Amino acid sequence: MKIFRQFAFISTIATYIVIFAGGLVRVSGAGLGCPDWPKCFGRWFPPTNISQLPPNIDPSLFNITLAWIEYVNRLAGVILGFLILITAFLAIKYYRKEMRILIPSLLAAILVAFQGWQGGQVVESELASHIVSIHMGVAFLIVSLLIYVTQQAYYYEYPDEEKKSDYPNKSSFWIGLLWLLTIVQIVLGTEVRSGLELIEKEFPLLPETSWLGKVGLVSHIHTFLGIVIVIGTFQVGSRILRLSKGASDMVKQVIWGMMTLGLVQVLIGAVLVVIGLPDIMEIFHLWVASLYVGAILVLFSAFRQYGRAK
Amino acid sequence: MSQDNSFFKAVVWTATSIFLLAVVALFVINRAKESRAEIPVLGKLPNFRFVERDGRPFGLSDMKGKLNVADFIFTSCRGPCPVMATKMGELYDLYKTTDKVQLISISVDPECDSLPVLQEYALRQGVNDNRWVFLRGEMDSIKTLSEKGFMLAADDLPGNHSTKFVLVDQKGKIRGYYDGLSDASINILKADIRQLALESEEKE
Repeated sequence: MKIFRQFAFISTIATYIVIFAGGLVRVSGAGLGCPDWPKCFGRWFPPTNISQLPPNIDPSLFNITLAWIEYVNRLAGVILGFLILITAFLAIKYYRKEMRILIPSLLAAILVAFQGWQGGQVVESELASHIVSIHMGVAFLIVSLLIYVTQQAYYYEYPDEEKKSDYPNKSSFWIGLLWLLTIVQIVLGTEVRSGLELIEKEFPLLPETSWLGKVGLVSHIHTFLGIVIVIGTFQVGSRILRLSKGASDMVKQVIWGMMTLGLVQVLIGAVLVVIGLPDIMEIFHLWVASLYVGAILVLFSAFRQYGRAK
Repeated sequence: MSQDNSFFKAVVWTATSIFLLAVVALFVINRAKESRAEIPVLGKLPNFRFVERDGRPFGLSDMKGKLNVADFIFTSCRGPCPVMATKMGELYDLYKTTDKVQLISISVDPECDSLPVLQEYALRQGVNDNRWVFLRGEMDSIKTLSEKGFMLAADDLPGNHSTKFVLVDQKGKIRGYYDGLSDASINILKADIRQLALESEEKE
């Protein structure tokens, strides 16, 4: 039993690391570091020297650094795939009758296999922006499922966790609303990113610092909604902390985590606008969003299951 | 008390791991940048003196100060030239907002490709400004420029001309050869153009 939760938790952490690695591939421009898929320059292990290139591949395509960045991301994805597969097997072994654990675990395993194949489509499409966005969306879905099953397994092992807790009315509604706004916000974020890529195509010699100003309306909506969400996060979070009695440590800590992440995310967004898209901040902007969604999801499940009805 | 302690521990752990992630990310991004920044100098073009469609002379000095993409063509060629022209046309459209990039197509068949023929060919490619030039020269000097300058074989002109695109920087130095028939190779060309353009901007 405990081993399932441990594997689900490790898989969750690993998914977050792979999401980070994926962001790193994108901003370092290594997405086509291996021009083929699933192999890299026709090999299972990327070439370390230009002389190892197969004769049908143009040597000017070869950049050893970019090839290895892309390869490490693929490798991390494969390792993650195995972790999730083990989690799914453990779910079948221990929680065959607990549908709320079994089904999401199996779904995560199917999705991670799909994600591997879809990663190949990303390369195939030469990084078409909507296909890259789907890749990110599926990653968010996988991490959500893993968080859900980890939490459910925890409640299964510690059924008294929320016994003494009494949360204010409509907590799950407000958290659900934040979740919905966040999903809209993430879609807008991918639109901003696509807009940036279009501008790169349209004005190929323009320095990156002046791109954001050209994206236009969607980036303003993204900024506005970001501020709305962070204010909402603090409103909802502090209301629940104030009005609930005997809240579990998990819920309290996750609320603090959610508020911190919301604030950090808006600050990163501000840095992106003011300083003009420093690479490292782009990765964290995406990554903190995925952590924030995770926090919201934990709270939503907790309030749905243990909050006062409506 | 122990609860507070474990919360504190979790915060420290998170902060440390995020810091480590950031360090790794910065290192990787830097390595990626460096790997692209190394665009070697492969050679230097000698002086030459050709003629553009409108009869104005065109030489090395007209290439300086711009990033140039050069190729060798002839207008009646049925082999790879139409594809090369399409790819050049895509570059012509791509860089329409800047005059920092100049495209140069050098005819290897001066007998047939008179200036009016080149002019008509250019119009067929949709060229309406001076960002893409079409050059005519004497056969001997074309051969010399191709072999000694661009270091591309020119044994059997016009039939056997190279299909490479050559990137020449603002100082007339050769910075790269790209397969004019391959999208993947031309993507690298675009990345190199961007890199060189940003480098020269930093120096200004």
